[in-house]
Formats: sequence, C-alpha cells, structure tokens
Amino acid sequence: MQRRLAELSNLQFSLLLALPVLVFLLLVVAYPLGYALWMSLHQIVFFGGYRASFVGLDNFLEVLASDDFWWSAWVTLRFTVQSVVLAMAIGLCLALTLNRPMRLAGLVRTIVILPWCVSLYGTGVMFSYLAKGQTGLGTAIAYAFGADEAVNLVNRDWVIEVLAVGNAWNMAPLVAFFLLANMKTIPSRLYDLAAIDRMSRFETFRHVTLPPLRFTLFVFTCITTVLSMKLFDFIFVLSGGGPGTTSATLTYQIYKESFKDLDLGYGAAMSFFLLAMILASTLILYFTWGRREAHRA
Amino acid sequence: MTTLWSRLALLVVLLWTLLPIYWFLKISLLTPDEIARFPPPLYPLEPTPAAFLNIFGFDYTLADGTVRRGSGQAVQILRGLGNSLIVSFVVTIVTLVVVVPLAYVFARLEFRHKNTLLFAILLAVALPPVSTLIPFYAMYIQLGLAGTLSGLILVTLTITIPFVTWMLIGYFRNLPPIERLARIDGYSRFETFLYIVAPLGRSGIAVAAVIAFLFAWNEYTYALVLVNGTSANTLPTAISGFLFQHPEPSHLAASLALSILPPALVAFFLQRHIAEMNLVDPVR
Repeated sequence: MQRRLAELSNLQFSLLLALPVLVFLLLVVAYPLGYALWMSLHQIVFFGGYRASFVGLDNFLEVLASDDFWWSAWVTLRFTVQSVVLAMAIGLCLALTLNRPMRLAGLVRTIVILPWCVSLYGTGVMFSYLAKGQTGLGTAIAYAFGADEAVNLVNRDWVIEVLAVGNAWNMAPLVAFFLLANMKTIPSRLYDLAAIDRMSRFETFRHVTLPPLRFTLFVFTCITTVLSMKLFDFIFVLSGGGPGTTSATLTYQIYKESFKDLDLGYGAAMSFFLLAMILASTLILYFTWGRREAHRA
Repeated sequence: MTTLWSRLALLVVLLWTLLPIYWFLKISLLTPDEIARFPPPLYPLEPTPAAFLNIFGFDYTLADGTVRRGSGQAVQILRGLGNSLIVSFVVTIVTLVVVVPLAYVFARLEFRHKNTLLFAILLAVALPPVSTLIPFYAMYIQLGLAGTLSGLILVTLTITIPFVTWMLIGYFRNLPPIERLARIDGYSRFETFLYIVAPLGRSGIAVAAVIAFLFAWNEYTYALVLVNGTSANTLPTAISGFLFQHPEPSHLAASLALSILPPALVAFFLQRHIAEMNLVDPVR
C-alpha cells in the first residue's frame, strides 16, 4: 500500500487530496448558484399572488441601464481599493513591529489580533459609535479642547473612508499574522550576512525580508479584495448605505433590491455582475502580479 | 535610538488596535446617565460592573440603591456562547485536517491544471452571501438543516476551506525543501508530511487555526438567516438582538466584550507556536 502511494504521480496525488474538497464545495455552492441564476432570468412578483415569469436577459439589461448600479459599482471599487491598500500596508507594519524581539511578545501579539476577534457586526457598531458626531471620539476630544461643535465623520464626503478604515482595522491582523509566520521562515543567518554587508535597514528589508513575503502579499491582496467586495454586514450596521446612497456598495444595493423592494430577479442579476467583478479583479491581479511571483523562487 | 523608535512603533500599534475597542467597550462600564451625556465622556466616571452581571441574568444594585435588572436575553447569550464554541472548534479542526495537506500539495508539487483547480476553489468564496442567502435557506429547509448546528458548520466550511487554503499556500512555498531528504530516507509521502512538514510548518498551521476559528466565530450573515431564533443560535446573532429588541447599549457592549474573550484566549494559546524555525534541527 505504501509502495503504491509512493508511486502515485504528482497529479494523481494532488487530485486525491483536492477532489473531495472540490466535490464538497461544488455540492454546497452549486445549488444556490443555480437557483440564483434561475431567479435572475425571471421576473418574480409577490404582491397580488406569487408569480415568476421567464423574462430572459431583461433583468441583466435593466441592471446595465440603471444609474444606481453604476454608482454602486463605483462605490464598491473605491471602498475596495482603499480597504485593500490600507489593510495591506497596516498589516505589513504590524507584522514588522511584531517580528522584533520584545518583552511580553505573546501578550502584544494577542492584543494585535483583537480587531479580528471582533465580528463584522461588532466592528460596525464600534466604528459607527466612534465616528458619528453624537457619540464619537472626535466630538469628545474637540469638546475637551474647548470647541463646541460635534465632529461627525459619517458624512457625504468621508463615509467611504470611515468604512474603509474600519474594514482595514478588522482585516489587518489577518494579513499581519500570516506575514509574521512567513517572516519566521527566513533563516536568521541571512540577517547576519546583511549586517556584515553593512546594508541599511531599508536595504535589509528590501533584499532579505521582502522576497519570501511577495507571494503571500499577492495572495492576501486577492483575499482582502474578495472580502471587501462581498462585505455586507459591516456596511449595513455602520452606514446602511447612507447618507442617501453615498455608501451604497453593490452588496448593499443587492440587499435593497432583493429584500426591501422584493425584486428578487433584478437583485440576483445584479449579484452576477458583482460576482463577475470579484472574479475579474482576482484574475487581473493574478495575470499582472501573481503569475510572476508564482514562477519566481 | 533604535529602542526609542521601536517603542514608538509599538505604542502606535497598540493605540490603533485598542482605541476603537476601548471607545465602545467603555459603554459597558457606564451608567445610563453617562451614556446619554453630551459630549460623550472620555472615560467612565463611576465604573460599574452592572452590565457584565446583567447579561448573565443577575441583578446589580447601584450605590444609590437603584437596581439594574438582569437581562431577559441571558439564556440566549449563554446558549449562543456554547453554540459558537462548538461550531468554531469543529470548523477549525475539520478545516485544518482538509486544508493543510491540500495547501501543501498546491505549494510544492508541480502538475497540470494546478491554477485551474486553485481558481475553482476560490470561486466558492467569491459568491456574495447576499445573493445566495435565499437559495441557501430554501435548500436547507428541504434538507432539514435549517436551525441546526451541523448546517451552520457546513456553510462555514465553504468559507474557511478556500480562504485558509489560499493563505497557507504562500506559507508552505517558503519552507526549505527538506522533505526531499526525507523521501530519500525512504519515508512515504504521507509519513514525510506527517513527521517532517507538519512539525516544521507549525507557525503557519497555528496561524491558520486561529484564522479558521475566527472566521467561524464571527460568521454573522448566514447565522442570521439559517439559525437565528432557533436553539442553534450563535453568539453574534444573539448579541445583535440587543440593538433592536431591547435597546440597552451597556448590555450590547458587555456582550461584545464577552464575545472577544474566547477567540483572544485561543489566539493567545496558539500564537506561542509562531516561532523561529531551527533549521539545524527542524524536527524537535
């Protein structure tokens, strides 16, 4: 038996491991996906009796013709880019700080992972409380310094930034801890050699620390992109898509069409555009960046 | 100079991390008067532990004689805590058993269609939950899985498995190719993996465990639709009840504090495995 296993080809061995997982994912995901596809091709009406009539691609065309959709796509893009850049930059900074030897390292690491321990629902409540004028930290500090005007950050100009900072606050520890684990695979003698070569701190970072992190950085850019684009509960709790429709991301718009306006077919069609957007961005990231990193090393 | 800068960096890191948590959790120690005060107080003036006792159903008498009643939601909170723990531990263990070998294979072996398989796995997480909620609910009703812990565990696995696989691949690629030596020594693929790769990669595996635990612990959207209001209710959905059913900000803050505690403990015990690899003697 052992002999046979040892003689499996790489492809067979990996299929042996990957196929059960793929079949499981397919079974659980295929039905909802198919159902959503069915909904997107129908006009579903609840009032005056439930009716579903086949309308072909009408829902998809209607989405493309709608201003709300394009606005939401733009909000999603802006929110995602800001979230990902912030989460990756802050995650890297956290990891570099944690990688230095220090006292109570275990405690500090546990504190740093705390934001990721707060559910997205909790993060939403926290940041809404933190940023809104009536209860916010800004107001409290402004008043402590003698001002008498509330500082409200959940406004038309800044709400997306508040959302992105909150999202990055939540995701950064996730990035940081994998980067930290990766940094631990760097042999310490490389740092000794860098010191002998009199490399500056930045050069050491660029030539010793960064290279083994590059692929992980790519993977996490993809993961944070996917997470940000499909984020819903946090936005729902913090801003509810508002003020007005300022922060209505696609997920929020889909929620509104499907559950508030009860236009399930239209909402489902819009969710396929979101799915396409998520897949397109991961593929673009792969072809412009990931493929290069995958061939390196 | 160096220590000054690293201390400063540490200070900034701690502030960034703790400030939002502090600002909200301070509510749990405030009296109702203080919560309503404007401008909001920077710190609790007369901290009381009332809310923390209330969410477990106990009354608390303040110094001036007013009684803060125990919350009627206490049963929900305790049950949610238990259910969340069960779901999170099961999901973590299953995820690790499935994902660690899978990620290792994708990171190390070259074979055809590798990227296609990888993207097929990623597709599962690319689905936005908002659009699959109704179909999921319909499917779960038919299968009798709605309102059960096993149903929630299954859904959560479809999130953790793809994400953690992707995360671990990058990590395994960095491990030194020591397993070739083990293969030469006559170890089978499986033995090599169990005795050489897994101990060597424990930093990454520990982080993966924390991540899987937290994904499961914090899952809210599916839990809200699939198990809320049933006996399989989890902690996040039980907590969200405080905001709408029974507006009591201090209880909300106290139960959020409670919800952070178990994952923080898990993280504390697992982070010890994030350590320098000793390449002279990798198998200790």
